Amino acid sequence: MGAFAYSAEMGRSVVQVLVYSQTPIWDAPWRNNPVGASSGSGFVIKGNRVMTNAHVVGWAKQIVLRRFQDPRPWLAKVEHISHECDLAILKVETPGFFEGLDSLSIGELPKVQSPVITCGYPSGGEQISYTRGVVSRIEMQNYVHIGNKAFLSVQTDAAINPGNSGGPVFQGDKVVGVAFMGIPGLENTGFFIPPSVIRHFLTDIEDGEYNGFPKAGVRIVSLQNPAYRKYLGLEATGDGARIDSLADYTEKDGILKTDDVILEVGGHRVGSDGTILLKGNRVYCTAAFQEPQDGEKLKMKIWRNRKEIDVAVPMKVRKEEENTGNLYDAPPRYYIYAGLVFTPLTLDYVKTFGRNWRNVANLEMVYELYYRKNEKPESARKEPVVLAATLAHPVNADIRLASRAMIDNINGKRINSLEDLVDALENNEKEQHLIKFGSGTIESLDTKKAKQAHKEILETYSIPSDRRL
Amino acid sequence: MTAIKNIFIAFTLVISSQVFGQNSDTAKKDWKDSIVLLDITRNNHNFRVPWDKRAQSVSKFGVVLENKELITTATGLANHTLIRIQKGGRGKWTNGKVLWIDYQANLAVLGVENDGFWNNLTPVKFADSKSLKENLQVIRWRGGNIEKRAAEFSRFTVADANFNQAPRIELKASSEIEGAGQAELMVSGDKVVGLVASKISGTCSVIPAPFIEDVIKLRKKNNYKGLGYFDFVWQPASNPAVTDYFKLSGEPRGVLVIKPGKKTPLKLHDIILEVDGFPIDIQGDYLDPDYGHVIMEYLACRHKWAGDVVSFKIWRDGSIQDIEFKLPKADFSDNLVADRPNDVEPTYLIVGGLVFVPLSAEFLSSWGGDWQRSAPFRLVFYNNQKAKKDQKSLVVLSLVLPDFYNIGYQQRSSQNIVIEKANGEMIATLEDLAKAIESPKDGFHVFEFKKGSTLKKIILDAEKLSEANQRIAKRYGISKLQKLK
Repeated sequence: MGAFAYSAEMGRSVVQVLVYSQTPIWDAPWRNNPVGASSGSGFVIKGNRVMTNAHVVGWAKQIVLRRFQDPRPWLAKVEHISHECDLAILKVETPGFFEGLDSLSIGELPKVQSPVITCGYPSGGEQISYTRGVVSRIEMQNYVHIGNKAFLSVQTDAAINPGNSGGPVFQGDKVVGVAFMGIPGLENTGFFIPPSVIRHFLTDIEDGEYNGFPKAGVRIVSLQNPAYRKYLGLEATGDGARIDSLADYTEKDGILKTDDVILEVGGHRVGSDGTILLKGNRVYCTAAFQEPQDGEKLKMKIWRNRKEIDVAVPMKVRKEEENTGNLYDAPPRYYIYAGLVFTPLTLDYVKTFGRNWRNVANLEMVYELYYRKNEKPESARKEPVVLAATLAHPVNADIRLASRAMIDNINGKRINSLEDLVDALENNEKEQHLIKFGSGTIESLDTKKAKQAHKEILETYSIPSDRRL
Repeated sequence: MTAIKNIFIAFTLVISSQVFGQNSDTAKKDWKDSIVLLDITRNNHNFRVPWDKRAQSVSKFGVVLENKELITTATGLANHTLIRIQKGGRGKWTNGKVLWIDYQANLAVLGVENDGFWNNLTPVKFADSKSLKENLQVIRWRGGNIEKRAAEFSRFTVADANFNQAPRIELKASSEIEGAGQAELMVSGDKVVGLVASKISGTCSVIPAPFIEDVIKLRKKNNYKGLGYFDFVWQPASNPAVTDYFKLSGEPRGVLVIKPGKKTPLKLHDIILEVDGFPIDIQGDYLDPDYGHVIMEYLACRHKWAGDVVSFKIWRDGSIQDIEFKLPKADFSDNLVADRPNDVEPTYLIVGGLVFVPLSAEFLSSWGGDWQRSAPFRLVFYNNQKAKKDQKSLVVLSLVLPDFYNIGYQQRSSQNIVIEKANGEMIATLEDLAKAIESPKDGFHVFEFKKGSTLKKIILDAEKLSEANQRIAKRYGISKLQKLK
């Protein structure tokens, strides 16, 4: 049987995913953008479930599935979703959907140069579409949906277009990937999520709950300078990459140290350039750090103080850097007081400034969001809060800083989270509120007048609730 | 690769036979004998390749003063190697020299060795502060003839600091003249209103005559002390609730100090009510008798200079107090990022191919006019930070000249990172670094970078350093591996 003989039959288990979604407005967090329509692909896996991309069903208000050459709409909902690795599992609410559909099984990582077929419902037509290509290369790639994390990714020259997202990539009678992204400006390059990432996700949700990918919190750099190797007591041309720095939480755990040389991780030998050999492919060693599930231990061989030692590092899912990536599905947290709209500092919020959000006016915010945690963890706040907007009303009309300012302190209380801010404003017994911004600027509000105006402002601006905490 | 965006455009005069017909002025003054052409050759340094020099030619104008002197703007004179002067718009060029220069005031006085040069030249007269707005004209040499273009007064402003330049008053005037900003004369009738310091789209920024005259007088008496500035940060008190909070009685007025300076007596949350007798409004402006409503920063240079005393009336701890404020010199020595080192060649230290430079305003400017966006964020962010006791300035590893000696440190993550320690010693200056290199640790040079840097540590072999240095200097054609102060 030829390599592609199976795919036409397997295509029957590939479905179209039609989605109506609505994203929030991050600087007016009680509001939403207009409802938008989009479509993607998905495929049936065992347990009467449909797998697709997280970005296909993110912020969905309604999900409808279409079977192969079947005109009927089938209502579905998200059962599990991982915005990190861009995968989602759908449950179908209308009975009978899975009748006559075989579930597809997940294969192994395909070899570079081996042929693959992508299958799905890309734009440009209504019917199912197949394209063939080869595996071009395999390496760690930034996953654009989350924006701040890299996972193993397979590049192919098989066409992957909008609408293909979430569709399977076949090799023989197995699914060897989920098509998920292209890179604008690059031709004949599509990317799919490899079996190791898919399996990690499926194993993770076996207990009915999605935890995520654990993180070691280390920065690993190459160790190729002969002087540095000599300094650590290693031969000039040997293996091993160096831990250059640790995240604050890793430092507190005290298991890994800076200048530790990682010789082996999860059974993979680490080269001096920081790569491991994964099924014939040299990929960056962070791939190995993503193999354990939350709470499992990762075995490593470390060179420390001129000795080889074995360590088992407990791997944990870390939420510390969540706000520096794109956020999904959970509507933004906010609190409105006397027309002042407060919300946490997130990447999604700063993106509302426009494409040049990293500009001068927001230096403090960029520093707070990306740098402070690493440079001065002792002064970092759990959840920095910003004044996102001011809803004009006589009570706040004299406040000059209309928006986009970081909050430092309110009524003497340092603001480490949105809850701190609510507490500081609601439990102030003085006649005036004193709000100190990150820049040092201070503003004040009359406590009594603020309380009185509060309800009127919410009504004027049709705000259903003054808070979402 | 980051594109190097600092393209320096040498200003060249276009010879044109155009007749300037819009000459409707009735002034008796013929400016031909009062304005000269300057042709300056200067070393243009690239602070990211600090050993590299490029000759640059700058054309601008000078204005004839009493006592056989010329005045012009300081722009373009830094690191000059030759100044040539031409009078009458044509003919012979004469060598000139800088007699006095102040980059913050943006003024320079030039002299000429050949006494005969001054024949047929007439010193200009400066306009007083009441006559700076009417019948403005821009005067310059163009193609051997005097060009006169009309200009229209717009407003007075206090110059915006791009880097930490001292505040100074500027006259803004709109004109259609092309490519101005090379110290052209702005005149009204037969008096000089000012020198055109720059022009952005249709607006000329002009250094006004009263300021120029003040500077000239002080220099003559050898008593010019430089510009002073207010070293504190204030916010407008436009929200009455804020002044109420500090129990300020009466009408809303004044501004609130939110970051006091280290060199002066104002404290956090002082409310500034008056400066030198001028009431400060809630925007931070005052009514200047000459220039109308301008920002109070100007009171740091309104006939006042570094070291002079300015009197403040402030609201502190529930009462009005009078405070004497001695103006600190605008050298911004308390800034973490060193101010523009004019007339100074870039300093650097190359160790085994690692190029270290001071984090200076010039270094950041090498990313071009929009350096605040295009320079690495982390370096830009240091610009608004103050020096600390144990860290008065910073040293950056700006690039690595590839050689097998420094392999492993050649990727982008080892560029534009700030050093913290070398061989265990804290580093604030290149001199610190040069000293630390003298004492390797157990045969190694250990460089540690600031916490959070893209690379935290670099180690080099001390024994092989001098051999590597020689090889790198030769390969990259660098005549000196270090240039310290």
